[in-house]
Amino acid sequence: MNLKILIPLFIATPGVLFLALSIVWLLGGCVTERTMARITKSAYAVLALLVIMTGWRMRVDGLHSVRVMLGDWFTVGHYGYPLSLLIDRLSLLMVGLTVVLAGIVGFFSVRYLHRDPGFHRFFMLLHLFTFGALLVFTADSLDLLIVGWETVAITSVLLVGFFQYRPEPVRNALWVFASYRVADLFMLLAIFLAHHWFGTTSWEGLFSGEWPGCQSQMQGAEGTVIAVLLVIAAGGKSSQGLFCGWLPRAMEGPTPSSAVFYGAISIHAGAYLLLRIEPLIHQSWIATGLIIITGLATAFLGTLVHRTCADAKASLAYAAQTQIGLIFIEIGFGWTTFAVIHLVSHATLRTLQFLRAPSMLRDYHRVHAASGGKVSPTGSLYESLLPPALQLWLYRLALGRGFYDAIVERWIVAPIQAVARWLAVFEPQSPQKQPAANTPAHPAESTVS
Amino acid sequence: MEHLSLPYITAALTSLLGGVLACWKTKQPRRVAVVAAVLALICFLAAMHESGTAGQGALHDPLLPCFVADGLNALPMAFYAALTLSVMVLAPRRDAAEKAPGGMLLISLAMQTAYAAAGWIPMVAGWWLSCVPFALGMFGAQRETRLTSGIRLASCMALTAAVLCLGSASISDLAHGGRLVFGLLILAVVFRKGLFPLHAGVVQAFEHGPLLPKALLFNGHLGVVLVARAEAAALPEAARHAFDVLSIAAVATVGIASLRAFAEKKPRRLLAYLCISQASFMLAGITSANAEGITGALTHWLVVAAASTGLVCIVRALEVRVTSSEDPLMHLGLAAKAPRLATFFLICGLALVGLPGTLGYCAEELIFHGMLQNHLAAGIVLLVATVFNAINLLRLYNTLFLGVLPKHVINIPDALPRERWPLTVCVVYLIFGGLFPSSIIGWRTDAAQVIEKALGAAAGGH
Repeated sequence: MNLKILIPLFIATPGVLFLALSIVWLLGGCVTERTMARITKSAYAVLALLVIMTGWRMRVDGLHSVRVMLGDWFTVGHYGYPLSLLIDRLSLLMVGLTVVLAGIVGFFSVRYLHRDPGFHRFFMLLHLFTFGALLVFTADSLDLLIVGWETVAITSVLLVGFFQYRPEPVRNALWVFASYRVADLFMLLAIFLAHHWFGTTSWEGLFSGEWPGCQSQMQGAEGTVIAVLLVIAAGGKSSQGLFCGWLPRAMEGPTPSSAVFYGAISIHAGAYLLLRIEPLIHQSWIATGLIIITGLATAFLGTLVHRTCADAKASLAYAAQTQIGLIFIEIGFGWTTFAVIHLVSHATLRTLQFLRAPSMLRDYHRVHAASGGKVSPTGSLYESLLPPALQLWLYRLALGRGFYDAIVERWIVAPIQAVARWLAVFEPQSPQKQPAANTPAHPAESTVS
Repeated sequence: MEHLSLPYITAALTSLLGGVLACWKTKQPRRVAVVAAVLALICFLAAMHESGTAGQGALHDPLLPCFVADGLNALPMAFYAALTLSVMVLAPRRDAAEKAPGGMLLISLAMQTAYAAAGWIPMVAGWWLSCVPFALGMFGAQRETRLTSGIRLASCMALTAAVLCLGSASISDLAHGGRLVFGLLILAVVFRKGLFPLHAGVVQAFEHGPLLPKALLFNGHLGVVLVARAEAAALPEAARHAFDVLSIAAVATVGIASLRAFAEKKPRRLLAYLCISQASFMLAGITSANAEGITGALTHWLVVAAASTGLVCIVRALEVRVTSSEDPLMHLGLAAKAPRLATFFLICGLALVGLPGTLGYCAEELIFHGMLQNHLAAGIVLLVATVFNAINLLRLYNTLFLGVLPKHVINIPDALPRERWPLTVCVVYLIFGGLFPSSIIGWRTDAAQVIEKALGAAAGGH
């Protein structure tokens, strides 16, 4: 099959599936668990096949990258929104990783979520997520990348609030959403400034040559501004630097979603973006410094907090944050191949760990029994080399999770709310509310006690 | 002067007027109103089709030449007729009893009269007519506040004064208008759209008045119609400064409403701030004076109208099911009982705030491009406001649909069939419109280019 058909086909498949399932459900239709499981398994099998065919085809034809131009999404005057897809070595790797890991999580979830009230919701969101992630990794421009980027974000938030009947997931979903949106603001700014200064956001227009040996076309202070904005946006997606607080909160979602989002794919999307724009980062010492400092600070805090976490998933979240911090540092130092290997191996291992998290105690007991009850505790070696006062201070810092939440609440949320309340001075006081809802006129509308 | 092949506009307006009169006496006002709305929709669709095949040129009604269908109004007229029909179907029984359907038809008649106006007289008549159903108390016990009605009357008076000062019934004569005329026109728009610092009027209208008629009135966006008509009339330099002021007011409203919503918890008020902020995007875009911004604004008009009507109808549907949803002290967790309503709400909301994959994204993308070309700082304010609005939307969604279901909510129905179909159509429009936006945007581009050319010609002339 032609690559120009194959590539759009495997991206569109999960999106079309999501749309079809959603419309059927909205109109009152019902898909049984067994049907949903079959659809999901078949879809991921087909996707895997299509990705393998794409890779094989590229290898046979000796192609390092393929661009598929689908025309303009919409045009106004001279401005057009190009729909262009790119598959190169980096994209193909990420696409393969997405399909395999999302497929594994899909298979796993069929049993894990059996008879859960949110079974269908989970699988619909999984398909939407796969569509968004595939779009992120195959987008040939920042314009198209953000479409997938935000699709992944909203799916992630809806899955954090999956157990909607508990207050904590609801609160945390809002926090995660706010973090994502603020980070996306930097991405949007970068996109519009790239249009403003360079007239394009396509990889072809911004970089010359093929990844990883491409050169940046964005020079000067403008290039630095865009690089810094994109580094911050990538940090937001990967829970790094200023946005390091949302990842542990995102653990409220079901375990399979934590695995695919925060162990495997979504969390690595930031690193993917940095790999993609690596030449732009390396031409600016500010952006390079920012990425190294961000990665270093997050890795340090992550490894510290990870050691004091009482629950398995939060501990894994901080461990993931630490490793992605290290990937950021590797990208900052220009160790591209090493960063890519680290990314793939980390995504795979972390997915396994997340999926095994519900059975962690059982696994521990098995290891304990197998070793004859001689499992020694780990993690107390390096700390003991530090002075006791510093140990205590670091311990308090780790227990308070870097006091991140308190700082954000006090210095960001509270001032915004204060300004919002102050703005009420422009509004006259509202009169007393009249009874708006009259006596119910229809029994179907009054089944409330 | 070219004409429509049949008097579609007259027929549509007559059917709406007939519906109003028939609703006054009939025992089944909703049924009569739905029939009238369907007839009006068919007529406006026919007018839109003819306008499209004629290259979106101005086609006057053969019976009443003071009404016209052109690139700017043909699509919104059909769209507004569909919106009226949807609201009529979606309205809970208590909101579609007695004179209420007639009142909603009267609002629709007022809006369509103003949309179709080829001159000032029907435009002013439409503005005044929109006040009548509230003055007559056609929506039962739910009265609006003095502030709300005062602001609406002030907008009508400002427009009337502007037209009297202009001394001409033709909109194209606006090119010879003085500063006073443009000052009054800007005032009319500020009052009508509830721009800062008058946004409190809209908030109180949402909070205290009858919600569904208010949604219809709000989504008429007569202020945008007035600005678009005025811009298309090749404005003098003084007017361009006046519209710059309007642009600043719109951007300020976008930012302030999005920020103010953070201090709000009541669903109706929170929804009002969201709608005000997102609707003000339109004015910001239409005053950007370039094709991208104007097209974005005209497309956003269709998004805000559909999405906010969907949101308002769902909030009202919840209010009649669960009275505590008017001022919830905690999360209501209604998604457990009404998952479809929750999904409709979320999709409409995300389209309103411009999530990629919906038509709202395409519209906002164009507005941002338009604003960033001419006013970089204003474009950044709009971006920040989008972020705030999205967060506030999720706050509202969480309050209504997530959390622990209160003990007093034993059982409520999910989306009823009469609610499910219109809301599905709305959601499909917002999503498929976003996936395949070319035709909708293409339709609005023609109107935008007319306005851009007129503005360019005016700038060249001066």
